[in-house]
Amino acid sequence: MPIELDFGAVLADWPLLLRGVAWTVALTLGALLAGSALGIVCAWVRARNLGARQAPFWLQHGVAAYVELVRNTPFIVQLFFIFFGLPAAGVRLSAEAASLLAMVLNLGAYATEIIRAGLESAHPGQAEAALCLGLSTRQTFVRVLLPPALQRVWPSLVGQVVIVMLGSSVCGQISTPELSYAADLIQSRNFRSFEAFIVVGLAYLLLSLLLRQGLNRLATLWLGPGRHA
Amino acid sequence: MPVIEIRDLRKSYGANEVLKGVSLDVAPGEVIAIIGKSGSGKSTLLRCINGLEDFQSGSLHVHGAPLQAHKPAALRALRQQVGMVFQSFNLFPHLSVGRNLMLAPSLVLKLDPVSNEERARKLLARVGLADKFDAYGDQLSGGQQQRVAIARALAMQPDILLCDEITSALDPELVGEVLRVVEQLAQDGMTLLMVTHEMQFARKVANRVIFMHQGLVHESGSPQALFGDPQTPELRQFLGALLG
Amino acid sequence: MPDFSLWDIVRNLLLACRWTVGLSALAFAGGASVGLLLLLLRLAFPKALDWPIAGFVQLFQGIPLLVQFFLAYYGLGLVGIQTSPWVAASLGLTLYASAFLCDIWRGCVRAVARGQWEASASLGLRWHEQLLFVILPQALRIALPPTVGFLVQLIKGTALASVIGFMELTRVGKTLANATLSPFLVFGFVALFYFALCYPVSRAARALERKMHARH
Repeated sequence: MPIELDFGAVLADWPLLLRGVAWTVALTLGALLAGSALGIVCAWVRARNLGARQAPFWLQHGVAAYVELVRNTPFIVQLFFIFFGLPAAGVRLSAEAASLLAMVLNLGAYATEIIRAGLESAHPGQAEAALCLGLSTRQTFVRVLLPPALQRVWPSLVGQVVIVMLGSSVCGQISTPELSYAADLIQSRNFRSFEAFIVVGLAYLLLSLLLRQGLNRLATLWLGPGRHA
Repeated sequence: MPVIEIRDLRKSYGANEVLKGVSLDVAPGEVIAIIGKSGSGKSTLLRCINGLEDFQSGSLHVHGAPLQAHKPAALRALRQQVGMVFQSFNLFPHLSVGRNLMLAPSLVLKLDPVSNEERARKLLARVGLADKFDAYGDQLSGGQQQRVAIARALAMQPDILLCDEITSALDPELVGEVLRVVEQLAQDGMTLLMVTHEMQFARKVANRVIFMHQGLVHESGSPQALFGDPQTPELRQFLGALLG
Repeated sequence: MPDFSLWDIVRNLLLACRWTVGLSALAFAGGASVGLLLLLLRLAFPKALDWPIAGFVQLFQGIPLLVQFFLAYYGLGLVGIQTSPWVAASLGLTLYASAFLCDIWRGCVRAVARGQWEASASLGLRWHEQLLFVILPQALRIALPPTVGFLVQLIKGTALASVIGFMELTRVGKTLANATLSPFLVFGFVALFYFALCYPVSRAARALERKMHARH
């Protein structure tokens, strides 16, 4: 029984697909920037051998609770909570804003743990040496501890960003016009469901590859040569 | 009839030629110490003899049979005759000492559990560790672990034993107990090829010492000859650095 | 519109948890079996199968799970098989699990020291005997923490099955949120229940990891 696949019908709607790619990329980049920043700050709160006094207990535990909550609940539930649940508490967000917020909080939690591991794997003498040279704790963190830590955990971070990008496919469920929403729209029009998702699947694959390459190149430029490919 | 016959063995790792035409005969019951700088090809030569490394040209015969590095069945048969003890012991951490000894005989020699255990206990007694049958490797000292490794190799009843720097990873005070076991094996008639840095031991126990340099057998002779009257400047330099 | 008490909400969500747990267990069992098979094939015929299986793994790691569910759902329909969401969800999640577990376990086999292969070879063991008696027992120990960790990913993954109509915690939650007009409460509880399922498993994985590192 011959199966007829018609990819042409799907590709004919390329403007829709392109818009989907654009949104997926935009959301991912936004999440990358804000999520990494959040991750760095939270890692600073939680990490141990930074040569500084520990952050207040309530902050440490608050961050720990946030991290555990995000890591032990599905992203789709986090998204639904933010988009459907928050309005009841007075916070009404557009689908796109809710998607971005959810992705930022999601990446932030995972990034916290990854960067924390990177910071804690530093030799304890590093912070001491910097402080003995007269650097402040903030300078020590930003100039001495953070760059090598990021270098060490770069592959893990990149992997996590790719996971968050793939997770953005869920945002279509609240009508954010990203890639999987485009696929759904296309297949609802021409009933080429399988082909639509094959095309979109391959698009995600390509995006993952490009994202990995791009981030690894960024690391070489920004953090200097080292093994983070 | 030599028990090991090596003719013009050549081995390269990619573009790097490590063995450049080694020839060697080993008589039954002979104890040979192989010395030389790191990178001279000593361990590689040893690992060729039991097929852990393959070689590009030359010939290698054990008990008259040529080594067929790409035939698993032939290699297995060879390894029942040629045992190996490693620098890093390589005991199986998930098995007790006794089970380490019993594994290969049960699978390869198809021994029944009762006689297998009996043999294993006898071997452990032979290396002085009779009470460690149920212990695990990480509970033992380095010297004890290495003695277990020797017993494990002996469990397959080889007539040739290859020892690849078996005391190099041990704390100095633990070296003696291992060498005593090896000395006993030599006296019992085992054919031994030992890559070693223990010159005193080589002098005392070896029938022949081979000095390897840059992938070739540079000098070969009795311990007295090699240590007492080194012929080549390379050997003199090596001994000077080691003993001086 | 019927009035839902708090207890009604909680009860319905608890009942839905059964399906979440059921699908997770099914996908884990299926994924572990297929993943193990792929791993053994990959180890046995490295020259022929290393690349194809690596490609298979890359595919499942580079495509969103949601899209994988859609492909399973529509793909089965295309081939003419009457799909219930159960079947599509099980198929999709099982394949996903098999790819990831195969990859994790391969890493664990490679983590076993080379000396173990050499020592067992030097004793005359055959390849399958080396694998069965020396390598896999050690690889299993190394594999336990990341495998338990992956179980958490799997449980979270079942939430996406709701999109293809599978009745589990998230879908029931969405339905209840619409029906009760209290999404904050309902999704709050949904999150709590997932947390209750996942957090103990996460803790177990971390404890196993610590125990393993303590031994070495």
